[in-house]
Amino acid sequence: MLDGIMLGLSTVLDWNNLLYVIVGCFVGTFIGMLPGLGPITAIALMIPITYSIGADSGMILMAGVYYGAIFGGSTSSILINAPGVAGTVASSFDGYPLAKQGKAGKALAIAAYSSFIGGTIGAILLMVAAPLLAKVSLSFQSPDYVVLMFLGLTAIAAFSNKGQFLKAMMMTVFGLMLATVGIDPSSGTERFTFGQADLLDGISFLLVAMATFALAEALINVARPEAEPDKKIDDPDTPKIGSTKLTKEEVKDMAPVVGRSSLLGFIVGVLPGAGATIASFMAYATERNLAPKALKDKFGKGSMRGLAAPESANNAACTGSFVPLLTLGIPGSGTTAIMLGALIAYGIQPGPMLMQENPSVFWAVIVSMYFGNIVLLILNLPLIPYFAKVLAMPKSVLTVMILFFSLIGVYLVSFNTFDLFMMVGFALVALVLRLLAFPMAPLLLGFILGDMIERNFRRAMMISDGSLSFLWDRPLTLSIFVISILVLLFPLKDYIVQRRKEKAATQAEQHA
Amino acid sequence: MLNRELIGPSLFLVLFTLYALVAWQIPLMPFEEYESVTSATLPKVYAVFGIVVCVLSIGANLLKQAPAEKADLLSKGNLLRTFALLVLMVAYSAMLEPFGFLIATSAFLITGFFIMGERRKAVLLFASVPVAVVFWFLMTQVLGIYLVPGNLWS
Repeated sequence: MLDGIMLGLSTVLDWNNLLYVIVGCFVGTFIGMLPGLGPITAIALMIPITYSIGADSGMILMAGVYYGAIFGGSTSSILINAPGVAGTVASSFDGYPLAKQGKAGKALAIAAYSSFIGGTIGAILLMVAAPLLAKVSLSFQSPDYVVLMFLGLTAIAAFSNKGQFLKAMMMTVFGLMLATVGIDPSSGTERFTFGQADLLDGISFLLVAMATFALAEALINVARPEAEPDKKIDDPDTPKIGSTKLTKEEVKDMAPVVGRSSLLGFIVGVLPGAGATIASFMAYATERNLAPKALKDKFGKGSMRGLAAPESANNAACTGSFVPLLTLGIPGSGTTAIMLGALIAYGIQPGPMLMQENPSVFWAVIVSMYFGNIVLLILNLPLIPYFAKVLAMPKSVLTVMILFFSLIGVYLVSFNTFDLFMMVGFALVALVLRLLAFPMAPLLLGFILGDMIERNFRRAMMISDGSLSFLWDRPLTLSIFVISILVLLFPLKDYIVQRRKEKAATQAEQHA
Repeated sequence: MLNRELIGPSLFLVLFTLYALVAWQIPLMPFEEYESVTSATLPKVYAVFGIVVCVLSIGANLLKQAPAEKADLLSKGNLLRTFALLVLMVAYSAMLEPFGFLIATSAFLITGFFIMGERRKAVLLFASVPVAVVFWFLMTQVLGIYLVPGNLWS
């Protein structure tokens, strides 16, 4: 492990890569602050740039953008009650009330320190957990991969918002279907190309990511501007930043909260499909339940514990989500799905062999997380008042710029205008689906995992002589398969409980 | 009228059915005849699974005694603006190669700002042409990336 850390350090300390960490954190903070734009959009916009700088630097840049975006999201949550990222929604519960009490600087400092500690604890746990899991996963065979990917797909659907399970499943299937377009690599058969030569190579992952996230997010903010905050940073009612100093007592009070939430966040982040949003809500709820009565009442009205908990949990969860990506090659969230797609585009196969075949990528990403957290704390915190000015940028300019950078980003990779037309088509479809409340991340996950599922499924079937017995031949495969089925049935339990409640309510009404 | 919650699954049901029809017509290579997994196997599985999920979703929505739905706050003006931006993106994609990067991008940005309601001439001009020129300079002169100069005059 020490050799790995040294390798990671030497890669990250290259001045080019250090610059990418800084640029990534800056750009991520900038984009994450914009209401409606999250880390997926931020990373999608960065992908065309990363294609020209190589895998190590590209992953370092994207990881920087990821925590930058989460950090930026908390700034808009605190200052204008408009979370730029779903993972920072819980931060606005107490962050915004704190800002309204004239403690915006303090709230931002709590967010920054909690994020720093959460991210650092997460990075340490990642450093320990990832190599261990990578070693275990070396024994994984094709059948295990098939069921693991199945677990990833079902988990992201099961953990989607309440009542959205079937919608998420439809999106997953849609993504899997899109992955089948083009020449089948195993047999050379053309599938779903309809005689169009531009489709022979399949649909580009970058195109789908940009269309469904960057373009669709920009367009939905135009179609449904009500989702926008009613405040702007130049609004006289918007709280002033003020002092960022914390007292000793405040630090002492929050320290155990940050420690517990970081650990919880990391564990939730490792689970496929969970991620920063669930982690932050869970940490918030846990701390509220654990708090003594007097402090419990403060939650939602400007509690420092209520801000520190989700902030440390969401950063630790971001780091945790790298565990399945780096060790199993299976993304646990939309953001890591984009990174997986980028890794594949670099010609790197993520998974257990990554640590052996591309140790510099593996360790550089982990080590860069320390540097990313330091950059966020040292450089971004003092610059917050200036960064906050971005919230005053006219929407007319910003939206069109996002559309331009998305279109030109895809064009600069393929130099094919057919891709641009297809991208606009996908953006239209994504817009309609988002207006109908369909989640986008399962589509992207299905699209990225589709090819890998097909290859491993073929191999598994070939090994088991055309029989599905590979699902129960090995205890490991069977265990993961059973977990997947349980995860798949998990929303059914909610549905049954809900139906029972409704029935009981109706009966009670009839009695009355 | 069709419930909003039924529109999505119904659209997907149509899409997945069409996908299934094409999946069952995927031509197989001669050597695939006796293989357990062919190029058409997983597309067929996805199609069937997708259709089952859609039917379940439609059924669940029909069974659910849903409360009166809150009308979506989509104004005609905002929808028109969104549609105009989509048309503008198509136009930009079509203009990029014949007119070249500089002209197409400047026109895209100016029109885009205009569609978004920006009427200040200074913003329209200074947030468009200089952006296109600086981006073109960075790409072609600094990074050495080729940007189409325009087929109509080159």
